[in-house]
Amino acid sequence: MSIMEINGGSVIAMVGKECVAIACDLRLGNQALTIATNFEKIFPVTDRLYLGLPGLATDVATLRERFRFRVNMYTIKEEREITPETFARLVSSTLYEKRFGPYFVEPVIAGLSPVPSASGKPEKWEPFIAATDLIGCLNFAKDFVVAGTSSDKLFGVAEGLWEPDLEWEDLFETISQTLMNAVDRDAFSGWGGIVHIITPDKVITRTLKARMD
Amino acid sequence: MPGEMAHHPQQRQFNPYSENGGTILAIAGRDFAVIAGDTRQTEGYSIQTRYAPKVFTLTDKAVLAVNGFAADGNMFVKKVKQRLEWYRHAHAKDMPLRAIARLIQTMLYAQRFFPYYVYNILGGIEDDGTGAVYSFDPVGSYEREACRAAGAASSLVQPFLDNQIYFKNQKAAPGSAHPTHLPLSTVIALVTDSFTSATERHIEVGDGLEMYIVLASGSSGQGLEGVKGLRELSTKGEAERVFVIRRDLKKD
Amino acid sequence: MECSFALTGNGYVLVASDTTAARSIVKMKTDEDKTKVLGPHLVMTYSGEPGDTVQFAEFVERNLRLHQIRHHQALRPQSAASWIRRALADSLRSRSPYAVNLLVGGFDTSVAAIREETEAVGGEPKLYWIDYLGTMAEVPFAAHGYGSYFALSLLDRYHNPQASLDEGIATLRRCIDEVSKRLIVAPSNYKVRVVDKDGVREVEL
Repeated sequence: MSIMEINGGSVIAMVGKECVAIACDLRLGNQALTIATNFEKIFPVTDRLYLGLPGLATDVATLRERFRFRVNMYTIKEEREITPETFARLVSSTLYEKRFGPYFVEPVIAGLSPVPSASGKPEKWEPFIAATDLIGCLNFAKDFVVAGTSSDKLFGVAEGLWEPDLEWEDLFETISQTLMNAVDRDAFSGWGGIVHIITPDKVITRTLKARMD
Repeated sequence: MPGEMAHHPQQRQFNPYSENGGTILAIAGRDFAVIAGDTRQTEGYSIQTRYAPKVFTLTDKAVLAVNGFAADGNMFVKKVKQRLEWYRHAHAKDMPLRAIARLIQTMLYAQRFFPYYVYNILGGIEDDGTGAVYSFDPVGSYEREACRAAGAASSLVQPFLDNQIYFKNQKAAPGSAHPTHLPLSTVIALVTDSFTSATERHIEVGDGLEMYIVLASGSSGQGLEGVKGLRELSTKGEAERVFVIRRDLKKD
Repeated sequence: MECSFALTGNGYVLVASDTTAARSIVKMKTDEDKTKVLGPHLVMTYSGEPGDTVQFAEFVERNLRLHQIRHHQALRPQSAASWIRRALADSLRSRSPYAVNLLVGGFDTSVAAIREETEAVGGEPKLYWIDYLGTMAEVPFAAHGYGSYFALSLLDRYHNPQASLDEGIATLRRCIDEVSKRLIVAPSNYKVRVVDKDGVREVEL
């Protein structure tokens, strides 16, 4: 029995054209027994930055609290919002701090990062996704990142369905189909899902009605 | 002193099995079947060869893909072919597909307590002229399906097939239904995509792709025209026609 | 073996815990109260490693009481549950972790919890499933121990978040009866408590 598979759960993030999407399933289990079907694994960090935390549920909750605290401290000290790039480094160093007694989570980061402009206010936003392993080794992918108990299935479906420069409506379909078909082949993930699509002017959050077995 | 040397209990063990990677896949159409496999053979992180076929023609209308432990796979195919030859000598005809499927089950189950460490997928044309795929576990449990992936990257490919072949999690447009059988051109495209995807994300998959296509007698073979790397294996006189498409996959 | 169940209904949370204290194959006691009233609208069942259970439950009880004294205000159920969860999560990576599983039932009577649909019952029922690792989930119904394998499937079928107290008690009864019927090591007695707008009180089955 692997620690990463006690509670189950999966997260995926994808890049689109001036948008990113991040999605997770809703199962919380205790080995084979399903405890809850409303367990979200994705948390907002800023208005245009989300963090997915699949893995051991106790660490999911603890890290969520820690990241909220550390991002708040950053915002107060720097008097500005944290960028996705900086946040990814924060995640990485927070995890590596516990190198020899790690938190059992595989974070996935998705957001839009501001492109500096002459006016000082960002007019353009660039998609950003990243994932790390449980000790904070960063992976800056250009297409999609996956994590959790159905990561291999997510890789397979995403590799088949994803294409570059999808508009947000199409990106929503792509990430939703990828998530649902992957978790349907995983006993530890599923029981519904939730998708966030981050565009420069709004975040669209939708719950997926999926197989409940 | 030599007489006082401590005698530690010793244990020796021989492991008769190995795992040689690779992936196989088969899809049945209305009047055809496509059976495919990559050609990479690995042991651990080493590539033993870039061309080791995993897909074999058994009769004019039956193709078998074997994946898992390569030595067992090759031996198993050899024994199935031998049994089919005996059948030909005894009955002066080829064994029907469903009978080959049952034969494979008995042959696998005969080794229940020292199994062939292989996953089999049998594809071809049934006596009624329909395309068929039978998939087996190592001890002979089998079922007829529309599609199946097995082997190292089966967990990557199968959910993709659920979505694209069975239209799982997809809703048909109002007033219409999902097709039960896909056209050959679509199937070939899906098989190609499945293997390029698996090659991209799985280290044990790659090098080459062999895709066997069995057409029922009278099938037009529409969708095969202009396909790169296509070769016909059957001679003109036969009712069913067998083609093979050989493609390169990434070698890294 | 230890069993605890809980479920929410229209304006209440029901929690039930068996009352057996066992060592190995011996029943030492059959009237041990393994529930704790943590505040005016908060109750908890606890089970797990003997010794850890009472120690941790009292630790939680006193700390929540301390908070109430300091701030002249009890923590809301969600905050209390989060605090308890964090205490367990921190304990997990300490030298001697507590092995305690909890069901925390509360009734949120704060202004923020009063909405159109909760106004009639004077607040919102809240239930949290927490295990010894510090895993927490807010759920409509929950169970710990071997009983969970029977009770959760029953509750999937029969739980109704709008049920009256009598209906809720009837559903809880079904769970207990099923466990008594099918589980070899079923406990004989349960302590049942309900928390609603009027506070926490015991219920006779």
